[in-house]
Amino acid sequence: MNHDINIKKLRINCFRQSKVPGEFMLQMRCPGGMIDAKYLSFVQHIAETWGDGSFHIGTRQSLDFCGIKYEDIPAVNAYIRTYIDEIENGVCQVGMEVDEHGYPTIGARNITACIGNHHCICGNINTFELARKIEPLIFPSHYHIKINIAGCPNDCNKAHLCDFGIIGTAKIDYHPERCIGCGACVRACEHGATRVLELNADGRVEKDPCCCVGCAECVKACPAGAWTRRPEPFYRVILGGRTGRQTPRTGKVFLNWASEEVVLAVIGNWHKFSAWVMDYKPEYLHGGHLIDRAGYKKFKELILDGVELNPECLVAEDIYWHETEYRSNFNVKPMRMHHHAGPSNG
Amino acid sequence: MGYLIGKGEDAAFWAKLRQDYDIYAPKRFPKQGRFSDTDIIRYDRVESGAEIVFDEKSDYPAKEVLTPICQAILYFTEDEYRASKASQRPILLFMRPCDIHAMQHQEKIYLENGGVADLYYRRMRERVHIVLMECSEGWDTCFCVSMGTNRVEDYALAVRQTEQGLLFDVREDALKTYFAGQPAADFQPVFVEKNSVSVTVPEIADKELLLKLKEHPFWQQFNGRCESCGACTIACSTCTCFTTRDVIYGDNPAVGERRRVTSSCQVSGFDDMAGGISFRKDAASRMRYKMLHKFRDYKARFGDHHMCVGCGRCTDRCPQFISVTATLEKMAAAVAELSSASK
Repeated sequence: MNHDINIKKLRINCFRQSKVPGEFMLQMRCPGGMIDAKYLSFVQHIAETWGDGSFHIGTRQSLDFCGIKYEDIPAVNAYIRTYIDEIENGVCQVGMEVDEHGYPTIGARNITACIGNHHCICGNINTFELARKIEPLIFPSHYHIKINIAGCPNDCNKAHLCDFGIIGTAKIDYHPERCIGCGACVRACEHGATRVLELNADGRVEKDPCCCVGCAECVKACPAGAWTRRPEPFYRVILGGRTGRQTPRTGKVFLNWASEEVVLAVIGNWHKFSAWVMDYKPEYLHGGHLIDRAGYKKFKELILDGVELNPECLVAEDIYWHETEYRSNFNVKPMRMHHHAGPSNG
Repeated sequence: MGYLIGKGEDAAFWAKLRQDYDIYAPKRFPKQGRFSDTDIIRYDRVESGAEIVFDEKSDYPAKEVLTPICQAILYFTEDEYRASKASQRPILLFMRPCDIHAMQHQEKIYLENGGVADLYYRRMRERVHIVLMECSEGWDTCFCVSMGTNRVEDYALAVRQTEQGLLFDVREDALKTYFAGQPAADFQPVFVEKNSVSVTVPEIADKELLLKLKEHPFWQQFNGRCESCGACTIACSTCTCFTTRDVIYGDNPAVGERRRVTSSCQVSGFDDMAGGISFRKDAASRMRYKMLHKFRDYKARFGDHHMCVGCGRCTDRCPQFISVTATLEKMAAAVAELSSASK
């Protein structure tokens, strides 16, 4: 077969090259992994009309269709116009231009989320509603970022393995007048969390607030309602986790006890930060590497620019990631191979 | 004779009532439920009818007003002590029929059992004037009709929530003055006539059958299901068990207070005794104890009715979805099986 295809352009259009020449996989965004079931008829139509009849739930909760022929891409893009408009503009209030050319960029990856407190008894937050608030801040933008949202510190959605992992937490109030001193919370915390509770000699529970992860297992365990979540949700933001061939690593805590406003303001600065690091020239580079290039302290300065932290919010002064060292002294190399961050004239 | 306290025109009415009464009623505590973004409804002091939750069953019972989960009962200094003080102000306590019956059942325990009237219960009970919250439908876990607790004749006030406001039936003379000048309205409370669940409490004919029932294998299922958290007994309208705790002030053991704190027969360690004795060592035996207490033992001691009032809050609050009515049916089946085997 004789193809003349700009595969980079197609990748930006959310069509990924197949090992079969001339075939592509469409990745449709699904922010927070939650859409109305009615869109499954779109899924079926795309798969059966242009794809190979199957569809794959992407590792980032995108809706993926394999076996799409290069020549069918214009027809597919025209068909998904409604889906893009309804999800991005209708559900997520992105306010983007939607035409018959499909997704304008792959840029920021689909925001993933566990089911959160829409269903889960452990969830502290509504995960996909947060995803829908974040979507307009990062999309459509050519700058790459991976955001995973987990409803609670159990982190089923692996907030520790992406650029920005957002974990829903709760500040817990103790009502001693409702405490029967049964110790159910103490056992729950020891069994399922960080062992921060202890029954004292007066039959009251004492807490080491420093090590509390905000999971609210104590609230679930209490038979009398002596522990309750504060009404407003809090978030822990885990930074710089990633997989990959070079330097996979688990993310570390960047913010603890951040309010929703703070989380949104920080992510709102991502575009500005990325642009600065890459000298305003977006290229295909994973977000985590941008943090590496700038260094954590520069990242912190730019990402917190203009952000008014809520009083409870704690910020990591430094972060020392621990990378898997496939190759020892991976970072020790000739100066000419070092990456540059920031404007080239600056 | 009834009155309508119109919505939005009731500020003066409640202000006047508040001057002379403490008003306690089921109130919503937003986002304080067991799971996130869920509410809890429990008893608390309210300022006006707008705060009272009429259209949902409270998660916790009215007994929390009469017997708080935690209260100081005495203060001690060296060899002297004195009882805690209590307000004399009368209380208007908004309760559904199940909670009113539950209060009467609890009175047996606190005021009659053992021939000693409990000071702390009595002084609270004497303040309470019953406001019957009309309950005409109930909810799917209710079985008040089966337990004979759906109707109440004796009350100071009865109340119904309507679109226009609250309808009151005023029985207690002293309260009539607060309604003077309010528009008259026809109102007599109606009661639940049929629950979606009905149960028949099995008769346990003799001690021999009782002992066999205690050994019946059906109880064993609760060793896998019940987590012995005690949520059922905290939510129970009628449970009365408490323990006492001495709290020492600072580093001086001669000064402190004694507290009464709710306890639960379902929590491991409840019946631990000196000498290392523990009567009910597993969840199954604790469940059996609770069921027989509610549906046999109390009546065997006091005569006229079972302890349970069928409010269903234990079912509502159980984190493991153990239904009291389903458990009662299983117990009834076991009794029937044992009865026919012995014939």
